Amino acid sequence: MPIHEILLAFLYAYVACLAFTLIYNMRGKFIFLAPLGGSICWIAYNLLNFTGNDILQNFVATMAVALYSEILARIYKAPVTMFLIVGILPLVPGAGIYYTMEYCVSGNQIAFGQSLVHTLAVAGALALGIVLISSLFRFCMLFWYHRKKKKHCTKV
Amino acid sequence: MEQRIDYQELLDIATRVGVSLLKNGAEIYRVEDSIQRIVAAYGVKEVDVFAVPTTIIVTINPPEGKTLTKTKRIYSRSTDLDRIYRLNDLSFDIVEERPAFDEIERRLKAIVSQPAYPLPVQVFACALAAFGFTLFFGGNRMDALCSLTLGAAIRLIGYGMDLFHTNGFFINTISSAVTAFLAVFWVEIGVASHIDKMVIGAIMNLVPGVAITNSMRDIIAGDLLAGQAKLVEALFIATAIALGAGMVLSLHRLFF
Repeated sequence: MPIHEILLAFLYAYVACLAFTLIYNMRGKFIFLAPLGGSICWIAYNLLNFTGNDILQNFVATMAVALYSEILARIYKAPVTMFLIVGILPLVPGAGIYYTMEYCVSGNQIAFGQSLVHTLAVAGALALGIVLISSLFRFCMLFWYHRKKKKHCTKV
Repeated sequence: MEQRIDYQELLDIATRVGVSLLKNGAEIYRVEDSIQRIVAAYGVKEVDVFAVPTTIIVTINPPEGKTLTKTKRIYSRSTDLDRIYRLNDLSFDIVEERPAFDEIERRLKAIVSQPAYPLPVQVFACALAAFGFTLFFGGNRMDALCSLTLGAAIRLIGYGMDLFHTNGFFINTISSAVTAFLAVFWVEIGVASHIDKMVIGAIMNLVPGVAITNSMRDIIAGDLLAGQAKLVEALFIATAIALGAGMVLSLHRLFF
């Protein structure tokens, strides 16, 4: 993928996610911060283009956006979901759902099966990525608080 | 705090914060933690909260007096991230400041009564999302411009059908069908060129990204029941979308 196409995709992802911050009724500075997650996950996705394995790409990109969300949530004392829901949108398998349906309608059984399994696998990759980073962060925060002998606090 | 605490009122107010969180799409563990935190801040150590996406049950066992229980049924949920943010803040302020109940009530009312963005802004946002995602998934400029109408149509249909309290499955099916119909229309009159890119871009407004994300976060936090419920919700939304667009596309295939 040439560089200007990646930049354009970055921009498109930002604009689309920005629209979603309005749909989900976000206010203030978060309107501009949350969509950056979408752009970050898209960069991560494209950096792994050489692997040719888009399940892996989805997985790593999800981890990138989950990491961004967890960090931002701790900086701004806001719930992680706010950033995660918006940032993960470019990866949500809307295209997968559509093509699965299209193959089903056109009676192409083999492509339908492949597409269905692939869509489920992408959804699974997203889920795993979120689970991994969230659990890791929880573990690290607990560890940190115990070492500092502070009261355990999970505001995010 | 010197004056006696009205535990019934404490239970009511804590449950109301929880219900508001759940209604606006917070994760289950956040709902349960918030209620527990608020109640514990006023000296009730024994509190059990059980929440699933449709119900909250809170039981508190105050130091003096009888055990109290409250059950709340939640009928409609939506995603409002600003309210979750402010309710989350409120619950932590309560723990730190332990304000009087009417002060909490006042702040809770202020949060809940703050309206969402007006309809034109929402329609614009949905149109912009469809526009952005159509370009993102590889549609050309004309596709993206036509896609604006698809996105706007989705929000308008959602709004219109919400007025009649239609269920989510039906709303998604109809929205997706109209989206596909408009895409076919634009391509048939020769303005746009890719049906698939336009429909994919527009149905990003409907796809269950929130359900998948929140379901996973619930499952990690150990709320298996709620996680499963949301996963099923995600599957149903996906099915509804496929059903709606599928009907229109197969009709299109039949007649053209």
